[in-house]
Amino acid sequence: MICANVCSMFYFKVLSPTRSRVRVLRFEDGLDFPLFCRNCEDAPCKDACPEDAIARTSKGILIVNNAKCTGCGACVKACPYDAISINPDSNKAIKCIACGECVKRCPVNAIWITTEKDLKGRDRDNRIALLYDEHKKELYSKGEFL
Amino acid sequence: MKGVGGQTLHIDLTSGKIEKTPLDEQMIRKYLLGAGFLSKMLFDMIPEGTEPLSAANVLGFATGMLTGSMFPQSSRHVIAALSPLTGIWGESHAAGFWGPELKFTGYDAIIFTGASDRPVYLHIEDSKVELLDASGIWGKDVFETDGILRTKHGRQSRVLSIGQAGENLVRFAAIMNDRDRASARSGLGAVMGFKKLKAICVRGTGKLDVADPVNYLKHMDELYKRMLANPFTSGRAEFGTTSLIELMQHIGRLPTYNMQQGVFDGYEKIGGHAINRGYLIKPRADWSCLQRCGRFTSVSNGPYAYRGGSPEFESQAALGSRCGNDNVESVLYSHHLANKYGMDTISLGGTISWAMEAWQKRILTAKDTGGIDLSWGNHESIVRLTKMIAFREGFGDLLAEGSFRAAKRIGRGSEEFVMAVKKQEIAGQEPRAQKSMGLAAVTAARGADHLYSFPVLDEVGFDDEIRKRFGEKYLPQMADRLNPTYKGIMVKECEDYMVVVESVGLCKYGTQIPPEFYYEDVALGLRIHNGLDLKVGELKTIGERIVNLNRLFNARFGITRKDDALPSRLVKEQAPVGPSKGQVVELDSMLNEYYTHRGWDLKTGLPSRRTLRRLDLENEGSLVTA
Repeated sequence: MICANVCSMFYFKVLSPTRSRVRVLRFEDGLDFPLFCRNCEDAPCKDACPEDAIARTSKGILIVNNAKCTGCGACVKACPYDAISINPDSNKAIKCIACGECVKRCPVNAIWITTEKDLKGRDRDNRIALLYDEHKKELYSKGEFL
Repeated sequence: MKGVGGQTLHIDLTSGKIEKTPLDEQMIRKYLLGAGFLSKMLFDMIPEGTEPLSAANVLGFATGMLTGSMFPQSSRHVIAALSPLTGIWGESHAAGFWGPELKFTGYDAIIFTGASDRPVYLHIEDSKVELLDASGIWGKDVFETDGILRTKHGRQSRVLSIGQAGENLVRFAAIMNDRDRASARSGLGAVMGFKKLKAICVRGTGKLDVADPVNYLKHMDELYKRMLANPFTSGRAEFGTTSLIELMQHIGRLPTYNMQQGVFDGYEKIGGHAINRGYLIKPRADWSCLQRCGRFTSVSNGPYAYRGGSPEFESQAALGSRCGNDNVESVLYSHHLANKYGMDTISLGGTISWAMEAWQKRILTAKDTGGIDLSWGNHESIVRLTKMIAFREGFGDLLAEGSFRAAKRIGRGSEEFVMAVKKQEIAGQEPRAQKSMGLAAVTAARGADHLYSFPVLDEVGFDDEIRKRFGEKYLPQMADRLNPTYKGIMVKECEDYMVVVESVGLCKYGTQIPPEFYYEDVALGLRIHNGLDLKVGELKTIGERIVNLNRLFNARFGITRKDDALPSRLVKEQAPVGPSKGQVVELDSMLNEYYTHRGWDLKTGLPSRRTLRRLDLENEGSLVTA
């Protein structure tokens, strides 16, 4: 949970996993999944936003414009990966923007920023992909786990 | 006060009444939270003469000042009550995620009084607190209970519960959280069982404001860097505590055959390397933990197949060498069952190994055991008894009382080799091979215990830390595990520090082994997280105050110097084999040094008036009728 703490402290100056942009789920077979926004190419959150508050940067990262966001939660419902949520203090949508603050502090180097192509290169024996497939149904809840 | 929930829950299980009180800052300045907080609360609430298994006992849960913070290993909570195993101060701790989760609800502690007449569990979701019917989970094991409650209340909830052992009032029943984390010692699971409190399911979505948000990450980066650079950290991740088997064999400190000796021929078969080779899936960490000693393992087939969190050194020693058992899969499996039913593996192995010695000496026969063969190393019997004890079936019903009471009932000389102090089984440190551990076992407030003081600085060459923490003049004697000199001083100072560590919610890993963080680091944590400015000297005084208050608690239940005693085997019989051959524990001289250094009376072993005045404990002291 160090990544979650880094995130809420870095951005909101508090400790709070529910105010973090990463979720960590532990499974009974011993796996821990830190889950982040994957900046989908077809970004359902962006399409769902009635205020047009979600935009894509030149690097492909989806960001929330706080001035426009009304905290309506349409993006939360639209995201298939529970990767965007509403911060209860600011009532604005929050999501991982791949800043890398948690990456550099993860004591076991379990997190890195990657692309589909890069991941395939690193995961040559397909181990990560298989573990992901095996658990993917339980990883996402359309907001229920948030 | 920053960095805390801010409120304490008081729940009367008899009436079902729930009250909330704000934290008292004056009390925090005297006792902090965690162990210190509960020491004071329960001292005030449990009068002398109270029976542990009665509605008058009080069961407290508390997180520490830094629980839920980013400080390395700040995952812990403390549980305390009058112990059904020892009849005196009972205290137990665990890591995991349950403690931090409680913090995020806005509650730092929960105090239960009374007893329910039907099974209940407590459900906390942020400020909402409700006692719910537990008839559907009564009788379920720890893993089932976790699954049912998280399905019902959301998978992000964290569950603490008892298993069947607690329900059946096994005197060394544990309280489990996050499936495999155990507050094991002192038998507090039986207190929950008696009160008909099955579980506490917690979900907190709140936040902790910290005192110095601007510099918080910068300080934490520094602490993390130090923790990761410590040479012990990588070894801890690789082996957890499992390879202590090999190390303890090397110094002759591995309890074997009910502590008849400190070396075990089959040690390699149950050691860390064997576990890593055949069974380890991955190391696992708890909240903010960089040490990651937790193991996740499996036995993939055969009668001992399981998958789950285990083992650690104490369980390997208790269910392995102590019982003469070199069948590693049975060690892992009985540990797994102890987690599942909720039992302390140390007392479990300690009690079974006592019975095995009674069998060896033909004091117990098949007639007593219902046909169960108790030869050393009979792993089938160990596994079978683990379940029978949890369910109090047959011979298991007797062993569920712990070795002290079982020996009293059996008699015939079996009391002679009960390896316990104040009725609690001695943990995995054969003290003839490390004198400080012998002293620590008798001075610990909760009966035999290696963790209250955790005097490991003489274990494997921490000379530099001894120099730093104590001074050059104590070397080389203090660092020599076989030399009793200065061990009274070391055990006292370590106790004071360890109760502070338990009061802030940190782990003994990182603060004592490896001894990376000391008072000044704890003071830094309290400053930046809580905004509490306490100097090192003040923290030391708080530690002393808590230890003295625990002693006063025990004094009200009749404890004096006469009870600070080891089994005669360890003080009279020389270690028969191994690197510590010929050694005994020179307890009296160490105790005298300890009492002197504490400011306790040499005859009674109780705090002097002057000591109590210095620690502002005169009112509490006046309640003790010596």
